[in-house]
Amino acid sequence: MKRDYQTHVFTSTYTADVSGVCSALYELGGMSVLHDPSGCNSTYSTHDEPRWFDTDSLMYVSGLDEITAVMGDDAVLIRDVVAAARDLNPRFITLCGASIPHIIAFDFRGVAYLIERECGIPVLPVPTDGLKSYVSGVGLALTAWLERFADPAEFAAAPDNAVNLVGVTPLDFSINDNVRMLRAAFADAGFAVNCCMAMGDSFETMTHAFRARVNVVVSSAGRRAARWMKKQCGIPMVEGLPIGAAQTDALLGAVRATLSDGKDRAAWGEFGNTGRYTVPEGGILVIGEEVFAKSLANAINLLPAERRSGLTACPLWPDVDEGMPEEELIAAMRTARTVIADPLYRVVLRPRDGVQFIPFPHEAYSGRIFRAELPAFAGPDFSVEQLLSGR
Amino acid sequence: MKEFQRIGEMEYEYNADIGLSYASPVRGVWNIVHIGTLVPQAHQIYVCPTSCLRGVVLTTAEMGAMDRLSTITVGEDNILDGDMEEALQRGTERIIEALPERPRAMLIYTSCIHHFLAVNYQRVYRVLRETYPDIDFIDCYMDPIMRRTAPAVPSLWRQIHRLLTPTQPRRDQANLVGNCFRYGENCDLTALLTGAGVRVLDLNTCKTYDEFLTMAASPVNFTFHRTAVSAAKDMQVRLGQAWISMRPGYAYDEIDADLRTAAAFFGIEPPSPEEIAHQRAETERAVERTRALLGDTPVSVDYTAVDRPLELALYLLEHGFAVESVFVDVFTEDRAVFEALQTRAPGLKIYQSLGWNIRRMERGHPGKLVAIGQKSAYFNNTDFFVNIVENDGMYGYRGIRRLMALLAEASEAEKPMRELVQIKGWGCGCP
Repeated sequence: MKRDYQTHVFTSTYTADVSGVCSALYELGGMSVLHDPSGCNSTYSTHDEPRWFDTDSLMYVSGLDEITAVMGDDAVLIRDVVAAARDLNPRFITLCGASIPHIIAFDFRGVAYLIERECGIPVLPVPTDGLKSYVSGVGLALTAWLERFADPAEFAAAPDNAVNLVGVTPLDFSINDNVRMLRAAFADAGFAVNCCMAMGDSFETMTHAFRARVNVVVSSAGRRAARWMKKQCGIPMVEGLPIGAAQTDALLGAVRATLSDGKDRAAWGEFGNTGRYTVPEGGILVIGEEVFAKSLANAINLLPAERRSGLTACPLWPDVDEGMPEEELIAAMRTARTVIADPLYRVVLRPRDGVQFIPFPHEAYSGRIFRAELPAFAGPDFSVEQLLSGR
Repeated sequence: MKEFQRIGEMEYEYNADIGLSYASPVRGVWNIVHIGTLVPQAHQIYVCPTSCLRGVVLTTAEMGAMDRLSTITVGEDNILDGDMEEALQRGTERIIEALPERPRAMLIYTSCIHHFLAVNYQRVYRVLRETYPDIDFIDCYMDPIMRRTAPAVPSLWRQIHRLLTPTQPRRDQANLVGNCFRYGENCDLTALLTGAGVRVLDLNTCKTYDEFLTMAASPVNFTFHRTAVSAAKDMQVRLGQAWISMRPGYAYDEIDADLRTAAAFFGIEPPSPEEIAHQRAETERAVERTRALLGDTPVSVDYTAVDRPLELALYLLEHGFAVESVFVDVFTEDRAVFEALQTRAPGLKIYQSLGWNIRRMERGHPGKLVAIGQKSAYFNNTDFFVNIVENDGMYGYRGIRRLMALLAEASEAEKPMRELVQIKGWGCGCP
């Protein structure tokens, strides 16, 4: 029998690639078009986009219907996008799609070319399929954007202390103080933050993304773009998040080392191991996005043993294609001593399991529900010990 | 392209569902998850790709009803392997075995992708029905790709009522079908029927699944909304129940005629001429009180609040209100109402709420404006608004008087519009 990652009796789902695309490019002055019948746009704007009410960034759904899909009539989409673009004049247009364009083999590149030829505005084809997690969508979108608008030749003139923060979206960092604190953690340590991809930076700033010596991948959503940039000019990457003093030191140390020798690193030690960790019984289980979960687990393990009750923390993160298979998740959670995870995971635990649950909301999982409770975790001032105490 | 058009310059064949579509932050209208949750002791299963699941799961989580919903994700391997049926059956079986309590019914929603891959889900349901005879399985659809020919909400109301099976009819009860909200003290039909001893049943007031099943015994289904038509027609054929459509408008003669039809069906006394005169006079007084209170304050109406926004606008204009705009994406009301508005108020602004240009609209209004509905409140950026969706159980003279009371209240007291309009499924029990 096939492994059942599909069935979720109790638990929620991480947001999809299409939301990742829109979230990553939200602040860059473009117009995102989601090729889909309906629904994905309201899901994104309701649950995944905390900036929606207060800004006028452009994101639309194409309203694909059955006849248009069956006939493969792409002219409808081309006409509609061109009409809107002429009214709104965005800096660029992003074309992504959900599952129906995927199964009818919609030609993203071809249609993007035709729209661009028609209206003269750059169009980025981002071939999402609505089947994968936001990590895929953010990665595809940032990469497509950089490929089109950033110049790898600028790497040669990058300042010695300049770094990029790659993979920054509200899906992982919300709109509390996290992004400011993230930047500050690097600035205070003497680094110049060249680009924060892509929150708080303008289209123009982003065009100079290659003026950095190291890409700091602060979410696995930034990994694809960082790999692409490395391929272009050799810019190395460091994976990790500054969470608490010790982990911040570890990350900054890794960045300094990479500035010096140009080797890829991870703040938790071994780089490149993205496979599953074995979850030991009776430990502290940290569930979340991969870089976050590994960073927080590392931050916990960097505490003296007595300040973490002698327990070891280990990370567990969703697969881009398969999410978090519920049966495996339940087994891991019920054998842990402590679980740190989004509050919607709490439902898995029964009183008889005797597991301490520490809520740590994650916008990409529970959307806006716990936004007000989402901690500002980025930087050296976050107290990992206090988190463990449940206060 | 402007965000609005003047009604005097418009064609009756207006439909804004063309081109790219914008989703405003206004989320009060119920979706299929909210409606499905009305079925007592039932469990919903959504079978679709991650991008589609996200909305339904978080809708449910925001309702605090995650114990009423499970999901089966469609993955790339299901598409390539062609094992959608197996995934559906295996997943449903696992859900049934894992749930702490056996549901009485399961509403299983397949999605757009199942149509395109020609999934034989009816076969799966047949197997499930044989395996679990104590559970009623019903096929439901979350397939917005079919929205122009078979929209999801009317389809769901029909499918939910397919859980009812033919039974011995009872002459002393009636069904109200297709309503998110209870039609009680603000509904003339309920007053008429209950006053004559007829028991009124509606899914939204059923406490148990067994109580819901008793709706099969009613000889007639009353509907107020267009979205209920499919269910009523289906029940006419399957269960032999009559269907009486109550027009949810503001024309007094229509209200009286519909109530006479309802009374005739049960052989009860319709409202007498004296009663009608009394109701009309009381309603006119209520309207005048509110009009005097609002004075020249502009009013804006939208289609999320009431089923007939043009007719409401006309009614208010005829009673001296300063109606300035209507937010509506398609004209579904009688041509006569449209033409009457063209004559009476050719400058009336008609806004489409999903067009691409409205995203960049300067939200706001010079001076105070009172809105009827969340969308008109949002786009006019006013905290003076009537916070209702889908008529909120109002029908007839009582309904109009209730609306006037809400309008007066809205004019006098501000509400936190920003917070309220973003709540999904207004009135469904969400925090």
